[in-house]
Amino acid sequence: MSSTAHIVIDRVSHEYRPARRRPVLALDDVSLAVGDREFLALLGPSGCGKSTLLYLVGGFLPVEEGTIQVEGRPVDGPGPDRGIVFQHFALFPWKTVIQNVLYGLEKKGLPREERLRVAHEFIELVGLAGFEDSYPAQLSGGMKQRAAIARTLTIDPSILLMDEPFGALDAQTRSLMQAELLRIWQRSRKTVIFVTHDVHEAVFLAERIAVMSARPGRIKEIVDARVDRHDPEVQRTPQFLEMVDHVWNLVRAEAIQAQRSGAA
Amino acid sequence: MSELDTPLLARSAPSSFRFDAALVSVGRRAGAIASLLALLVAWEAASRSGIVTPFLLPPLSAVLNRVAEDAMSGELALNLGQTLYRAIAGFAIAGAAGVVIGILMTRRPWVRWFFDPIVSVGFPMPKIAFLPIFMLWLGLYDVSKISMAVFNAIFPVIAATMAAAEGVDRHLLWSARSLGANERQLLREIILPAALPQILTGLQVALPISMIVMIVTEMLMGGQGLGGAMIAASRFADSPGVFAGIVEIAVAGLCLVKGIAVLRRHLLAWHQEAQEPTTV
Repeated sequence: MSSTAHIVIDRVSHEYRPARRRPVLALDDVSLAVGDREFLALLGPSGCGKSTLLYLVGGFLPVEEGTIQVEGRPVDGPGPDRGIVFQHFALFPWKTVIQNVLYGLEKKGLPREERLRVAHEFIELVGLAGFEDSYPAQLSGGMKQRAAIARTLTIDPSILLMDEPFGALDAQTRSLMQAELLRIWQRSRKTVIFVTHDVHEAVFLAERIAVMSARPGRIKEIVDARVDRHDPEVQRTPQFLEMVDHVWNLVRAEAIQAQRSGAA
Repeated sequence: MSELDTPLLARSAPSSFRFDAALVSVGRRAGAIASLLALLVAWEAASRSGIVTPFLLPPLSAVLNRVAEDAMSGELALNLGQTLYRAIAGFAIAGAAGVVIGILMTRRPWVRWFFDPIVSVGFPMPKIAFLPIFMLWLGLYDVSKISMAVFNAIFPVIAATMAAAEGVDRHLLWSARSLGANERQLLREIILPAALPQILTGLQVALPISMIVMIVTEMLMGGQGLGGAMIAASRFADSPGVFAGIVEIAVAGLCLVKGIAVLRRHLLAWHQEAQEPTTV
């Protein structure tokens, strides 16, 4: 973990209160600190509250119990310091790729030429050059997620919140996108919280993995997963496979319990 | 191959292809309205066969003749213009106000608190029953007629807009917020376009309602307009005049409905439905 904590989550609990049904405790007394420019994975079975925790950090849901601080200030609503990437992309379907990417830059009030320059730069970065004028409905899943990532990066957030960003992609596209994300992260060095239920993905991408328990979500264990990501063959090394095994054993029991309680 | 082609051939090839396509398209359209054509032929035949008197059912040819006469004399343009002007004005006011009210109802609790009961009571009510009140308050001319159309057409717009605005994917709203949009921008730049497909469906319901209400209102209040002209023709036992009114209303209504469908395709070029064939 890096020297300074960028995000401090302190004793946070969260309850969903659906209309005319019993309230559901999604998070129970979660504490976690994320270092500056750290890549942290939140790993857990479906329904364990990992996305809820991410939405709380993003300011999309109100923090009702406990506190979340970003750079020493309590979270109060969404802000451009925390960029978000969703599993189902959440691109604006009535805007073309370039219009989507321009949206955050317009809100920043940059002059027109500057906006276009930055937008093209990030479209280039994610490899979507030539598709600027396509609508999201005309793109494949992988291309949609590239566009969504470019849109988020344009506002230069110091924190990147990623909610199972590659969960809706096929296996080949997913592994390409993982490598690409690492490349982008190593270039721009942002603090990343990456929600996933894929053990392999977590070990490959993250410096630390916070393993969460089945509902109600708690932090079960934090694993230091430093594998040598500069090695292109790292996923075949015994060290990597051991780490996957170790993390998988932590998650297994929780996944089984989640399945029994019908959360999956 | 292309080097051997003369410029003339090269140019005529695509144009003959387009001609074929046009023929196919005309054929398909004729097929689509075959039932309507059969009905019109049956009308003409029944009226000529002597089963009914020409007073009860004047032949289609005589009615079309009458439509042509009305068109020549300027009567048609006057009545049609009056009816369309009032129907479209009522529709436009109902559309604009309905969209604003519908969206605000989902985002501002006090707007919802105010309008929710009114919409619940007003939507299923036979609003034509308010006509005497509108006449008392607003008179017999354009203001009361347009107000009647607005009153009838606004409810489906509010209902469709509300349902659409409520159903906007929260991830879209969250994305916009985190990219720096404020509440106003969220309404105009995200919720409105995201809700547009369903809003247009509401408008496509409201337009014929506005037209129907206008005809009925004109019939009850009299004066110029297609509805008023039909009532006048009926009072003078002018049977072809009454049927001519029916034909004129049918054609005008069809044009309005087709027009708004074209507008929909234009506005939703980005939408999935634009990439696929549609039945509208």
